[in-house]
Amino acid sequence: MIEIRDLSLRLGDFNIQDINLSIHDGEYFVILGPTGAGKTVLLECVAGLHRFKKGAVFFNAADVTRLLPEERSLGYVPQDYVLFPFLNVFDNIAFGLKQFKISAAEIKKRVDEIAGILGITQLLRRDTRSLSGGEKQRVALARALAPSPRTLLLDEPLSALDLRTARSLRLELKRIHRQLELTTIHITHDLTEALEMADRVAVIQDGCVEQVAEPEAMLFYPDGDKVADFIGSPNILDCDYCRNLGQGVMEVGCGSLKLTVAHEGADIKKVAILPRHIYVSETRPPGLSVNGFQGLISTIESVGNVVKITMDVAGKKLMSEIPSYIFDEMDLVVGKEVFIILRMRRIRIYESNR
Amino acid sequence: MFRILKGASGERVFRTATISALVLLALFFIGIIVSLLAYTKWDTFISALGSSEILSAIKLSLMTATIAAVISMLIAVPVAYAISRSSFPGKDIVDSLLDLPIVVSPVALGAALLVFFNTPLGSAIDDNILKFVFSVPGIVLAQVTVISALAIRLLKSTFDGIDPRYEQVARTLGCSKPEAFFRVTLPLARDGLIASTLLTWARAVGEFGATVMLAGATAMKTETLPTAIFLSLASADVEKAIAVIFVLILIAVAALLIIRKTVGRRYRV
Repeated sequence: MIEIRDLSLRLGDFNIQDINLSIHDGEYFVILGPTGAGKTVLLECVAGLHRFKKGAVFFNAADVTRLLPEERSLGYVPQDYVLFPFLNVFDNIAFGLKQFKISAAEIKKRVDEIAGILGITQLLRRDTRSLSGGEKQRVALARALAPSPRTLLLDEPLSALDLRTARSLRLELKRIHRQLELTTIHITHDLTEALEMADRVAVIQDGCVEQVAEPEAMLFYPDGDKVADFIGSPNILDCDYCRNLGQGVMEVGCGSLKLTVAHEGADIKKVAILPRHIYVSETRPPGLSVNGFQGLISTIESVGNVVKITMDVAGKKLMSEIPSYIFDEMDLVVGKEVFIILRMRRIRIYESNR
Repeated sequence: MFRILKGASGERVFRTATISALVLLALFFIGIIVSLLAYTKWDTFISALGSSEILSAIKLSLMTATIAAVISMLIAVPVAYAISRSSFPGKDIVDSLLDLPIVVSPVALGAALLVFFNTPLGSAIDDNILKFVFSVPGIVLAQVTVISALAIRLLKSTFDGIDPRYEQVARTLGCSKPEAFFRVTLPLARDGLIASTLLTWARAVGEFGATVMLAGATAMKTETLPTAIFLSLASADVEKAIAVIFVLILIAVAALLIIRKTVGRRYRV
């Protein structure tokens, strides 16, 4: 268990105040917040890279506030990876192991093992500068994991990667987390990433913790305007009935809107979908469309570089958010009939009635 | 006003002006070297080079400069690291103070050193520990005084260019602060270390002002290459002076070539 108590620190432009968090053993804990919220500083405090006067950090009830970074047995993956450019991939991964005074054969065995887990065995002889972003991230992870830390700290691990690489690494991170039973603290500014990966999420804004909750609870019951604004008003629908279709799929009815969602287990009370996960099209999308509907545009509002469109769909109001450059290529006006798709995998569900 | 400097013609004028400056400067240096060559007769050049006086000057210069460069680097690495990474009250003042030897005339520095060795403390050192005044250790000391500031400047910019996060990551991987320095920062500074060592060494080979003040200009004893030029010209032996000038140019070119070969494009000097 990692506990942060009353931590305050001012560092240049960053200012974090009275942070209190406790992270359970084996938990995948995501710290979510906009750029400049102080997330990285907070993570660096856990890693022991900053000295602070006010507050304390505990690992398993032992005060580690004054411990040096090398005494904390943490795996730390900074943003942009910070691989050592004068070492090849193998030596980067072996870097921490060489502090253990173990034989070269043992080092090699451990590097091979960890490279196998991360699927980078074929990269071991490569120069780090010739690696792609995803490969660099895997090497940085392997380097952090090689000395078998108890805790893994990830600073925006996916933000510099292209969408496809980020998606596969997301699954990979969860798998590694389960396989190695690591307590993981993951920092991100990406809501979808947080919702998908976290056991629990802490929303931090302007250096303060605004809410700590399970992803569903945060989405359905944001605590205060700051969190609600940051989440960006998801579409939340109450469900009247649900029917198990088998194979992990359920049909839920929200008024006259029938949705297919990926879920097994208890009945669903509410579903939520973020505006950015509702696709709008002028023509009927080809092929079989799960969760495809028709609706009438009721309002169009341009906010920054996205356009928010509200629609009447089967008696419900739904909001979609599309990038301006895509909106500009379409011919969308108030009153027009459009086709929409709610991406099944992106529909979040809530079981209990609160 | 100055319509010619506007628009496309302005671009042309500007380009011509900057390139002409470059060409003129190049011509100036080529002219100097050509005039040296024109003045030299090949056989007198060779015999001057082979004279025992010049050979001993070459030997003394290479030896003292090498020792001075090594000492300067041993001083400069910790000092440059301290200035680059730590902050303490009065850091700016210390930082500016360290620049003084670069700006102050080497003759003044040498004279100051000589004065120091005439104080009770200085003469005690000179008499009991190591003789500096008018001796070979004096040459090394004079060179170190002049070049260590240069070494610190070059290394500071090297350390400034190394992201402190490399050390932070090394710390989370189990390195103590000194271990992180030796395992990460020094390897990252490799190019800067090589370049600074060679540049300060080359500067030490050419050092004259401070050396002549502290160590004097005794032929065959404290006669470095620059001192040899001075002594040759003083005795109107132009041939010999030119021979030494070419030796110095050769050493400088060699140093720059080695920097380019080993460090290549990664470190611009």
